[in-house]
Amino acid sequence: MLPTSCPSCHAQLKVKSLMCESCSTEVIGSYDLPVLALLSKEDQRFIVRFVQNSGSLKEMASELKLSYPTVRNMLNEIISKIEAYEK
Amino acid sequence: MKLFQKLKRMKSKEFWHLLINPFRRIAGWQAFGVGVLFVVVMGLVGTWADVAFDGALDMHLTDSLTYAQSFLYLGISLASVVLVMWLAGVMIAKQVRFIDILGTMTLAKAPFLLLAVIGLFTTAPDLTQITQNPMAVFNSVSFIVLLVVSLPVMVWSIALIYNGFKVSCGVQGSKLTLAFILGLFTAEIVSKLALYWLL
Repeated sequence: MLPTSCPSCHAQLKVKSLMCESCSTEVIGSYDLPVLALLSKEDQRFIVRFVQNSGSLKEMASELKLSYPTVRNMLNEIISKIEAYEK
Repeated sequence: MKLFQKLKRMKSKEFWHLLINPFRRIAGWQAFGVGVLFVVVMGLVGTWADVAFDGALDMHLTDSLTYAQSFLYLGISLASVVLVMWLAGVMIAKQVRFIDILGTMTLAKAPFLLLAVIGLFTTAPDLTQITQNPMAVFNSVSFIVLLVVSLPVMVWSIALIYNGFKVSCGVQGSKLTLAFILGLFTAEIVSKLALYWLL
């Protein structure tokens, strides 16, 4: 799991450098982490499943053995987290 | 051994959680189907036991009850809760499906079946005797049992209504609590008014 917050002050981390494994070139800068990377492991897993189920909450509900509104609420929570990160 | 105990503890925790909030797992048509089954049995047992569910959260012993009366009481009490909680849900949530409210509220009636069953073995104390001597209520042990059991059943049903409303609306915090309390009070008043006008 990619660390997203500072272990010392808990502020959001930025990407400082990226490296090419083939020629060892390093790109240094200050890049924002993608929004999806900021989400928890469970939330990321939920999004992957959601995409795999073609965005069908009904199928997600039967796969997770949860009720439809429960799955919809889980998705709504992720949406609010994404909206908060984007702000 | 420790793992077995841990599993056992987890299962029992899950069991209690399921009793208080089954709506995490079932809602909508599924909950409605199971709920209707409970309501039908409740209506039948209620008729045999002369127990009327005449209000959103009410239960009374009667002298005699017909099948029609029993199911009419149940229908009105259920309809009032469903309609009022749905309206409350529409007011506080963006996405609320009627079928989720219908299903969860119907299943939330299930604990009252316990009272209908206990009602089969209950003899109501004589009202004239009670008015002369209130302590006469303690002469009927079965009635005391019914009274004692009715409190946790009521709490259980309210917890189910709350959780059903919470899952169906996907709202949290004071908005949810306020809408729930106002909704339940309104449902109780609506059911009483409907019973008054219809019967």
